[in-house]
Amino acid sequence: MNKLQEVYRSIVRRDPLSTEKGKAELVFLNVWLHIHPVKVKQENFKVRHTFYLGFISFYLFLILVGTGVALMFYYRPYPAQAYQDMKDLQFVVFLGSFLRNVHRWAAHGMVVCVVLHLCRVFYTGSYKKPRQFNWVVGVILMLLTLGLSFTGYLLPWDQLAFWAITVGTNIGGYAPLVGAKIKEILLGGHNVAEGALIRFYVLHVVVLPSLVVLFTMVHFWRIRKDGGLSRPVWKLEGEAAGQNAPMSQPLVQIGGAAAPPAPLRKGTVAAASKDKTYGLMEVVTGKPLFETIGPEESDDEVFSFPYAFYRETIAFLVTLISVMAVSLIWNAPLEELANPAKTPNPAKAPWYFLGLQELVSHSAFLGGVLAPTLMVGALLAIPYFDKNPSRRLASRKRAIWVFTAFMVVNFVLIVVGTYFRGPGWALTPPWVHVTGHE
Amino acid sequence: MKNRTPQFFFALSLLVLALLIGAIWQASSPSWKTYQSQFYRLAAQQEPTAAAKDAVLRSRVSIRQVLLPGLQRVDRCTTCHLGVDDPTMAKAAQPFTYHRNVGPHPVSKFGCTICHGGQGLAVDKTNAHGRVEFWSQPLLTKDYLRASCGRCHKEGDVPGVPELAEGRRLFETHGCRGCHKLNGVGGSIGPDLSEEGANHRQPEWLKRHFLEPNALSPSSPMPNFHFTDEQARVLTFYMLSLTSEQMGAYYSSVRLIPSPEFGRKLFTERNCIACHSVGGTGGRTNSPDLAGVTKRHSIGWLDEQLVNPEMISPGSSMPAYEMNSNERKALIEFLNIATVDDARQILMGRPKGLTVEAALIEAGKQNFSRFGCVGCHGLQVQGGLPNPNSQGGEVPSLLHVADDYTKPEVAAIIRNGKMPPLADAKGPAPPLYMQAWRQMLTDEEVSRIVEYLWSLQPKKDTAW
Repeated sequence: MNKLQEVYRSIVRRDPLSTEKGKAELVFLNVWLHIHPVKVKQENFKVRHTFYLGFISFYLFLILVGTGVALMFYYRPYPAQAYQDMKDLQFVVFLGSFLRNVHRWAAHGMVVCVVLHLCRVFYTGSYKKPRQFNWVVGVILMLLTLGLSFTGYLLPWDQLAFWAITVGTNIGGYAPLVGAKIKEILLGGHNVAEGALIRFYVLHVVVLPSLVVLFTMVHFWRIRKDGGLSRPVWKLEGEAAGQNAPMSQPLVQIGGAAAPPAPLRKGTVAAASKDKTYGLMEVVTGKPLFETIGPEESDDEVFSFPYAFYRETIAFLVTLISVMAVSLIWNAPLEELANPAKTPNPAKAPWYFLGLQELVSHSAFLGGVLAPTLMVGALLAIPYFDKNPSRRLASRKRAIWVFTAFMVVNFVLIVVGTYFRGPGWALTPPWVHVTGHE
Repeated sequence: MKNRTPQFFFALSLLVLALLIGAIWQASSPSWKTYQSQFYRLAAQQEPTAAAKDAVLRSRVSIRQVLLPGLQRVDRCTTCHLGVDDPTMAKAAQPFTYHRNVGPHPVSKFGCTICHGGQGLAVDKTNAHGRVEFWSQPLLTKDYLRASCGRCHKEGDVPGVPELAEGRRLFETHGCRGCHKLNGVGGSIGPDLSEEGANHRQPEWLKRHFLEPNALSPSSPMPNFHFTDEQARVLTFYMLSLTSEQMGAYYSSVRLIPSPEFGRKLFTERNCIACHSVGGTGGRTNSPDLAGVTKRHSIGWLDEQLVNPEMISPGSSMPAYEMNSNERKALIEFLNIATVDDARQILMGRPKGLTVEAALIEAGKQNFSRFGCVGCHGLQVQGGLPNPNSQGGEVPSLLHVADDYTKPEVAAIIRNGKMPPLADAKGPAPPLYMQAWRQMLTDEEVSRIVEYLWSLQPKKDTAW
């Protein structure tokens, strides 16, 4: 029994969770949890502030990795085999159908949540100084998410997959100078064929997920380093125009809810110094980089355990339940075996690119070059061009209008492309069935 | 709220567990398991001893499949249709009924779906029978089941399925290729038919479409050929047999049926008797007598000779007839048994001897029907198919083509195609138009067709 206890103590070295020191050490000494601050502000975890969209995106990514690895056991990335493996998953692999459904719906869900997360961050003004760079990392993560979804789209090798990727890569091919070359490198040829399948597979299961992991690490790290989760706008009421505290203001605490590193050494409490950086407090002197939290409201602070952890896990469970329930009801689509000789009319790109396809149908230059370049460029530039320091909706009317219009136009174009485009890309309401056409 | 988070957390965890159990339950109660245990109970009734009954009942419940690499398919139909090769199940109800008269097509070698259609990989009834949105070959009904024979037996006569040969004949003589591609040859006004047998088509739809093309596809430019009910049925058979699937060597080459009767038909149609004699009867030239030709030459040599006469016998005046492997095989089968009597009968059946010019015109006529010109211009080149908004409102007759054009002009139109002049310049383009045929016809074939057309022109006073 003592031996067992000794083993346990060698793994879990923190004090009991009933003590404050134990609660702090749980976070501090744990490699998986230490990305959290020891203490958090309750208000930051309000659902109506973040809707947990970032968390949900991350959880969907975890679900996708889990189901994706399981699916890899059954999948051979070669045209006819790939399709037969889909059929086997659907019909004879135990839980295969469920597994594929979860992966498919979680993937669509992740695209949606990442975009909504972006919207939330914009509307709460959370990309503003000092979080500019983290916004950029977020945009990169969104592009990687689209890349993951796009590369995964081809893998079932059915008509839907084949033609969506054909259309999608054609849109990319419109880019001047590099477009055709990028398309050729991506497809391993000029058409979607075996070469494209193996390339998309490798991108989908190795390259892009690794990049997502790397950038997610940066993203999370930066949240801490930029002052923790952004404060709800309503908590900024007291401050002038609701802006972040200026950098020049002396530091009291940084790091979101950084508690004084009380549990570090027994019996000593390191007082926050006004002229020492938090991370390097005993090494160098100098002003800290950022300070974002007003000196008040320490009463709002609670230990991360269990307050934050409960909420995060509940968000995870709700995500998981939603995906599972959807997967039990709706099956992931699987059409006929890809047939390069049989073009569906209309052939559509994956839904999130249908806005671009809609534009391409009017002008290849507009949809293939101008719009995507401007979109990505504008998103990346937002935090550096929006010099308005206020985070409050009322004082950033113009930015809100521009962004909302941008998102609504996108949304409308996607809806039109998805539901209102029939054979020959003619405007056809979804309730009209076109006869005599295939 | 704060106090209730643990309960909330716990309840959600339970919900996850419940959903997981739901998924497992859904996955572990497929309908085929029920069918298998039913079958074992049925089979156990026939066992004499209690021990034997027990053994049957304890049989493993598992998915059965026939792997058919040569047909590029896996058929799991026997997972439920467990009695197909068990004669004692002759009276059992479906899905356990014994399959009679399988003949030379055992399930172990052919599976089920190559003939019956349906989705071999699936193990639930709806999906397996293929009557689902994204499976292009649903189960065929009994009336049209034999159309599947044509998937492998692509040429010649198939015993017991006269519809296939007849349908193919109708297809080639009624100008279908004028608008439809089949295996890469034909026009492009209508859809490619190379995979029509795997195109979601219900036989009833096809038959109806042949009888009345515009009833089901209102915008279709396909003219009404006024087929009889029987002709429509036969064409439906042929359509259902069309597939571009590649069958393994075992299925496609060995088992074709080159009958001497078919060979005799070819011998007559291609007018071999015009040059060749058999046992001294027929032929006017110095071409070899064909009696006993199969004893003088190997089958392989004869086959090559039919493909490329110039190569095998330099200086030969024999034209290269375009015959597929099965036609050549059938012709050789016929030559093997051909006698003087056959030659006499064939000669008697022939209207008159052909001159070289007449033979060229005859070849032109054959091209005219084979490449589908008759589809629009009619069997008697009378034209007359309605073609809205073209001048005259219909496809032009070719009877008086010599009045308006010279031979090179007509040849150029055939090669390059032509849009019909519009009746109303602002109206929509007419659905039918002359396609460019230079990809499909050689210059020689074009000039033969021109000669054929000129041969039809009414004789005129040429004394100018």
